[in-house]
Amino acid sequence: MKKRSTGFYLLSLFFAVFVLFLYGPTLTIALLSFQGPGGGLTFPMQGVSLYWFEQLFQKQAVGNFGDAIVRSFTLGLSVMVTTVVVSFLAGLAFRKRFAGSSFLFYLTLTSLIIPSILVSLGIGLMFDRMDWESNWYSSGFGAHLTWTLPFGLLIMFAVFNRFNPSYETASADLGASHWQTFKYVLLPLLAPSLIGVGLFGFTLSWDEFARTLMTSGSFNTLPLELFAMTTNVTTPVLYALGTLTTVTSFSLIIITLCILRWTRRSYSNKA
Amino acid sequence: MLINTKNVSSYWQSLPLTLVLMTFLVFPLFVITVVSFWDYNEYSIIPDFIFDNYEYLLTSKVTWLAYVNTFKYAFLAWLLTLLIGFTVAYFLAFHIKTNGMQTLLFLICTIPFLTSNIIRMISWIPLLGRNGLINSGLQSAGLTDAPLEFLLYSDFAIVLAYVHLYTLFMVVPIFNSMMRIDKSLIEAAIDAGAKPYHILRDVVIPLSKSGIIIGSIFVFTLVMGDFVTVKIMGGGIRANIATLIYNEISLLQYPAAAAGAVVLLFTVILILVILFRLVDIRKEL
Amino acid sequence: MTDSKITPETQVALDTDVPKESSTKETGVLSRRTLLKGAVGATAISGFPMIWAQNIKDVTLRQFGTGVSNLNAIADKCKEDLGFNLQLTSLDSDSVTQRAITQPKSYDIADIEYWICKKVFPSGNMQPLDVRKLKNFDKISPLFINGKLTKDSTIAQGTAPHTVGFVESKDSTSFAKAPTDWMTLVPTIYNADTLGIRPDLVGRDITSWADIMDPAFKGKASILNIPAIGIMDAAMICEAMGEITYGDKGNMTKDEINKTMAILTDAKKAGQFRAFWKSFDESVNLMASGEVVIQSMWSPAVAAVRSRGIACKYQPLKEGYRAWGGGLGLAGHLSGLELEAAYEYIDWYLSGWVGAYLNRQGYYSAAPSTSKAFMTDDEWGYWIEGKPAQGAILSPTGDLMEKAGAVRDGGSYWDRMGAVACWNSVMDENRHMIRKWNEFIVS
Repeated sequence: MKKRSTGFYLLSLFFAVFVLFLYGPTLTIALLSFQGPGGGLTFPMQGVSLYWFEQLFQKQAVGNFGDAIVRSFTLGLSVMVTTVVVSFLAGLAFRKRFAGSSFLFYLTLTSLIIPSILVSLGIGLMFDRMDWESNWYSSGFGAHLTWTLPFGLLIMFAVFNRFNPSYETASADLGASHWQTFKYVLLPLLAPSLIGVGLFGFTLSWDEFARTLMTSGSFNTLPLELFAMTTNVTTPVLYALGTLTTVTSFSLIIITLCILRWTRRSYSNKA
Repeated sequence: MLINTKNVSSYWQSLPLTLVLMTFLVFPLFVITVVSFWDYNEYSIIPDFIFDNYEYLLTSKVTWLAYVNTFKYAFLAWLLTLLIGFTVAYFLAFHIKTNGMQTLLFLICTIPFLTSNIIRMISWIPLLGRNGLINSGLQSAGLTDAPLEFLLYSDFAIVLAYVHLYTLFMVVPIFNSMMRIDKSLIEAAIDAGAKPYHILRDVVIPLSKSGIIIGSIFVFTLVMGDFVTVKIMGGGIRANIATLIYNEISLLQYPAAAAGAVVLLFTVILILVILFRLVDIRKEL
Repeated sequence: MTDSKITPETQVALDTDVPKESSTKETGVLSRRTLLKGAVGATAISGFPMIWAQNIKDVTLRQFGTGVSNLNAIADKCKEDLGFNLQLTSLDSDSVTQRAITQPKSYDIADIEYWICKKVFPSGNMQPLDVRKLKNFDKISPLFINGKLTKDSTIAQGTAPHTVGFVESKDSTSFAKAPTDWMTLVPTIYNADTLGIRPDLVGRDITSWADIMDPAFKGKASILNIPAIGIMDAAMICEAMGEITYGDKGNMTKDEINKTMAILTDAKKAGQFRAFWKSFDESVNLMASGEVVIQSMWSPAVAAVRSRGIACKYQPLKEGYRAWGGGLGLAGHLSGLELEAAYEYIDWYLSGWVGAYLNRQGYYSAAPSTSKAFMTDDEWGYWIEGKPAQGAILSPTGDLMEKAGAVRDGGSYWDRMGAVACWNSVMDENRHMIRKWNEFIVS
């Protein structure tokens, strides 16, 4: 690999085609979302305007994303916080072997790889049989945790596998209490990873569909609302929403990167 | 590992996770299993202990057809995501020299993943439709006379969407394990006169095996349980096993759906047990 | 039927209720509900107490149903006219059934179709409505009371609304054979459905349900994937093809179901169908994008395609229409102030504004006479009487739907609703039918 071989150019081309494949459809709908008021869901384009972006913030004939976005956001935040706390604690627990640890580990894996429709059906049936009321903040919340917690735990494993325990031992040697070690050594060292777990948890919850389907109760989360809209919206307003969410996630990533770089820098400055 | 704390702490630390999983995973699965033996009518499910649901499920031609479809989709999606994912990961891991560039290209692959899956799926429709961009492009270039019908609402469209949605799940773990391959190993092989093909076969593939298996587990389970892609890209005329379960759910035949779900669960677990024998997932993170 | 045949008598039948002598506007108070049980004091019972007049503004009613009638415009107008909030959730027909049965606490008002009602009501999750509390009960079309559009109409096959429209008593869950004071659903909306076509792309005259199976439309046809409705379309098709003669399309035998589904499955395997749709907007997209040129379709979907400047026709067929109807029902848990608000809302629904809104979308209002007051003569002429439009016909949102001179496909209300061959149905062999339908979808 000293000089760039033909292999490199072939692979670069392959990569470029792959990126085009990933972005092609997104660009198509971005293009279609700028149609004029007469536009439909398919080509040819009917004029050019920002009409559908304006429509996005108006009341729709059927459904309502405004409320769905608020619901999904609230749910995402609560799932995020819960995921960070629960998987961090579990990550700590798994640093040592304890009775049932491998059972719990395989259970967590099961939670991750079980077909989502089973979780949805199961929780839905359970709430039904127990005569509990399903809501996005009760049954939906639980369903989301079955999806985010395994990811959170796996990330914590990855983090602790690379974590050098001598920091803690050193801190303990210097006479720090458990709590002090936790607060002044462990937490700052792990902060970036925990932010990662949180963001990951939020993203997973934000886009969760199948597990929410039968567990959200009377009101739709955003992906459910979107799914309903694929069946009852006939205008490019759907594409406008798609374009907007892509731009939003794009900016979120940039912001996260900046935050991570900033925390790392301020941490290394302190050190 | 820490030695100077008592193991007791592990129990309360793992308690929240245990509670969540017991409430929202183990218990619901138990309910599904119980209900799969129940009877039902138009509007309610009736506690009972009957084998009708399983009997119909296992003797119906449709179930087998749906399983054949499901495995077909899973196999094609797995094969394509593996080939593409491996190539992309290989390119990123071995051909991109600087860390900054690696991160940048990696992020470029990740960003579409953050857009809603449903929106990513429907984005294909204006491209693939009868009057879509691809068909009109092909026709105006004189390559085809009539629109290609198989592009949308077909198995092709479904597999295409899977590849589009899930290749990243292959790229990430494979890239991760490739990054841990000691570069000097490859240098040594080159110095010893090994051909690139041999390096790939004897060094890179064996050493990224765990990544390949983890990626395969992800893609396989995602495809096995999916029904939204099949519905949207298949135009409602294609079906896999989860579609069947979903249809039964939406027609309120919960016991039938539950029986279908139990069988699906066993199928998936059986295949995963085999895959997990090949890799110790805890060590590979 | 042509315009000239709209006799005063059919007009009255449309406007009001069946026993003609008791149903003029002047004697509305003493109309059929009082005749039914001779309960002269009925209206006195329904007098609302005034205590809640103020705090009713704080009531929020949760309504769910299909996208067809769960329109935000209705919620806005309700807030404006009645002062309380209406929260809407719209789902496809199957999800509606599912929610009505499995999550009875998640809604206050169910906006469902009559065939859904046949499944849901026996579950005991809903409570019947006391017709004595509805001021506009007399205005409801007789179609929903005794099943007859006009005095001498015959009742079509299938789950006709009046057969599941009443229960025996307040606590009963079994449907009454004849009208009682207890309604399961207060009807709001209904229509006669047929095939929609792209006249620019089909290239020939379409006259029969059987035309959808013409090999010329291979890969360009579609039907809907809602079993209770799809099976009826399938039956219309098979009957028109001359393949099957049904005893009663609305209540098929196992054998008839098997034969019907076999014919459809063969067509599916031969590639006749491009896609199946579940909600009416999907059918709009299929048609507008040219993926499909002939399919089972709902009237407003045709209007939606046409409003984009794409030719689309709601083709009347010689075998007649497949009809459906929907209405509002009360959740079993409703009581007190919320129950009173729900009654007030449902009564308001019948009072005309909503009816006119629905008429303008190509559906029919269940209380035609009240909606007439909210429409212009030209609108009434175009949508109901089947007359050529005098000026531009606008949609409820003000978009141009038809230019002057246009005539509604299928003609007048009486022509269309009078030629109904069957209603959407839930059959005795429902479980068998759904299994067969599922097999058809998977095959």
